[in-house]
Amino acid sequence: MKLTLELRGNAGLQWVLERLSPLSPFGRTAARDLPWYGPGDEAALEEELDNVALSMELWNAGNTRPQEGPACGCGGTELDPADLKDAASALRGVTKQLPLFHDIRGSFDRDPGVPFDLVELFEIKHFLVTLERLVQAYEVMPALSGITFPSLAEALELMDPDGRRLPTFTVANCYHNDLAPLRVEKAKLEKAIRMTQDDKRGPLLEKRRQLAVQEDHLELVVRQELTEKLMAWKDRFLSSMETLGRLDLIVAKAKLALRYQCVRPALSRDKTLTLREVRHPQVEEDLRNRGESFTPLDLDLGPGCTVITGANMGGKTVSLRSTVLSLLLCQCGFFVFARSASLPLFDRVELILADSGPGAGGLSSFGKEVHLLDNLLRETAGQFFFVALDEFARGTNPQEGAALARALVRHLGGLDCMALMTTHYDGVSDVASAHYQVAGLVRDIQGDEGDDPRKRIARRMDYRLQPAPPGAPCPRDALRVCRLLKLDPTLMELFQADL
Amino acid sequence: MEHLLAPLVGDASPVTVIGLCKNAGKTTAMRRLMAELGEERLALTSVGRDGESTDLVTGTEKPDLYVKAGDLFATARGMLSLCDPTLEVVGLTDVMTPLGPVAILRALSDGYIQLAGPSAAGQLPPLTRTFLELGAQRVLIDGAAGRKSLAGAGVEGVALLCTGASLDRDMELVVAETAHTCWLFSRKPPENPRLRQALEGLEDRFALFTPEGEPMELPLDEGGSPRWNKLPRQPLVVWAAGGIIDPLLKTLARRGAPTTLVAADATHVLAGRAALDLFLRTGGELLVRRELTIAAVAANPWSAYGWHFEPDKFIDALRQVIDLPVVNVKEAQA
Repeated sequence: MKLTLELRGNAGLQWVLERLSPLSPFGRTAARDLPWYGPGDEAALEEELDNVALSMELWNAGNTRPQEGPACGCGGTELDPADLKDAASALRGVTKQLPLFHDIRGSFDRDPGVPFDLVELFEIKHFLVTLERLVQAYEVMPALSGITFPSLAEALELMDPDGRRLPTFTVANCYHNDLAPLRVEKAKLEKAIRMTQDDKRGPLLEKRRQLAVQEDHLELVVRQELTEKLMAWKDRFLSSMETLGRLDLIVAKAKLALRYQCVRPALSRDKTLTLREVRHPQVEEDLRNRGESFTPLDLDLGPGCTVITGANMGGKTVSLRSTVLSLLLCQCGFFVFARSASLPLFDRVELILADSGPGAGGLSSFGKEVHLLDNLLRETAGQFFFVALDEFARGTNPQEGAALARALVRHLGGLDCMALMTTHYDGVSDVASAHYQVAGLVRDIQGDEGDDPRKRIARRMDYRLQPAPPGAPCPRDALRVCRLLKLDPTLMELFQADL
Repeated sequence: MEHLLAPLVGDASPVTVIGLCKNAGKTTAMRRLMAELGEERLALTSVGRDGESTDLVTGTEKPDLYVKAGDLFATARGMLSLCDPTLEVVGLTDVMTPLGPVAILRALSDGYIQLAGPSAAGQLPPLTRTFLELGAQRVLIDGAAGRKSLAGAGVEGVALLCTGASLDRDMELVVAETAHTCWLFSRKPPENPRLRQALEGLEDRFALFTPEGEPMELPLDEGGSPRWNKLPRQPLVVWAAGGIIDPLLKTLARRGAPTTLVAADATHVLAGRAALDLFLRTGGELLVRRELTIAAVAANPWSAYGWHFEPDKFIDALRQVIDLPVVNVKEAQA
């Protein structure tokens, strides 16, 4: 499944990814190219989540003030406290090396006949020395499953013949028998040049030039040999870099989960979805900046289409986005922003928003919705998919729109999918497999007329989702919302008279 | 070898060799300095290759520098094939040039090298620090040539100014230009401590102060450019972060009250002598936030274009108008 930019943006995944901080170029590549764990990949996903959980525990234990027990949401391991401390500092040792890596993948993309230049050889040695330090630290901590590094000891020995692990590279004398005598001769000559007056140096400099050419030739031979040997280990180098990327991404996921108190999702096998106190971090941060707080939501979904109705500005769209974000995160091997989550794995997850930017190819918002839905239905034939639809068919006349929405709910009920749809149309929830309603404008508050209308609505609004019977009528709150938003009084009068 | 330049630069580091024009004898001065400082572990790099790189690549025009074993240097990766000492790569900077990233190398033997270092001024100080960490005793920088390309080069330490016949056929003009550059480099920071403090770390393109250092509001037009004709008719201090060019000086000269203009440093003053004279004659004063030092002027009476000046006459003429040591690098070498 492809995570399009539009989906990442609409669901808020992009916002989350921007807060993910891989430390190495390989980790950044891994974060750009996230794996998708679909149906059948349960074992691989559990392994990834195990890794994230373990990293969280180790990272947390290495903090100066670790969070207590289950607060990190990762569950415990069987490490005793002393071992945990050692392992935690080993993980810090690993992450200390990660930012030191340079991306040398480009150097290996070559014909083995073209020798590495001196700077490339320096970079390869730097990579090997840094990798050795990282692996030494990694070996001390409990292994993350699937993260093993192929041995590059021979390559390191080749690049660091004196074993001093210095962060420098030169074509050392030991690489070629003729180098040492040539360099001794050249050094003698250079000494002689230094002792000679400027205007008499000519012949000596010419001799030196010849020796320098010979030396350059020998160095070329050596570089060619080194290149040939190193290129034979190309696969190991590339797989090490890929593993580094995965390791880096796991730790970045763990740090993100700790920072936002995310929870490990459980994988449900029976095509049900349960979210408890799910949050949308982007909306939550936005609210916090305005001095308001996010109301976490509880949601249980089964096969077929669940319908959400409720007042305008009641957070219906946010509930869609929170659900989709949880699914996307889970299926990319992340912890989710909730108190608990039990999620099935889908082949595909889609979010269709009525007003997501300009319509493509001359389509109106209604046209675009229909187009996206049609594409989805075609492409997911035979697949288990999830789709969230925001006020589907609201852009056309209410009678036809409601009929289309009802038809879609019925149709989705017969497919192998799970769907979540918000609507203001009556009669849609009648045919849905479940119905939720936003509690709505339930609080009676007086005397805040001077406040920001958004705050006044927020104060009166109970954003919680409550199970509602099928066919329960949609709330009639438009008038109150308009009044709270201080719509022009003349217009309000006409509106009220017409109701 | 007679020590000619070494005593003039003293213990200063980095020493940046700058030229008033191309072929002003920058490389000669650099070589001379390297030879005189032969006992020290030197670190070398360059700034501002602009346009010279083609010559560099063909290796025809640009002469090499001869380093000794143990010296450090920073050059673009693409230059390495033109360097012939036994080399050790000791680091790779994140400075990119058209010839690849700038690498830091140690010469394990004597030999010829070609420099193509960072081109942005801000990239030099970190490089200088790295050199010192690696054990360099002094940093030499092959600086820019041409007054305009010096702009913002942010010369640290001291500079060695190279001037010569290549600038113009007219010796008087060369002397006057050289004197003007020396005069610019001798500009001082404001004496008023309040004003100095107010200018510290200021990032605005323009700012207005009273002579006492009190900030004042600068009238702006819709585009955000200052409306110089709306300035109050009283002595004022104008801060200009960017290059100072003729129109600004002429506008300020005409505003009818004395202006103190503060530039970031001398290399930011790009205006010609005529505009600057006009500004100063109407009561203007030019100051700088950061003072730069020219240690000496190295003069080259020979041009690359077929004409030359009489060496003694040229040096004497320079000494008469410049209050700094003036040496003839070519002469002393012979």
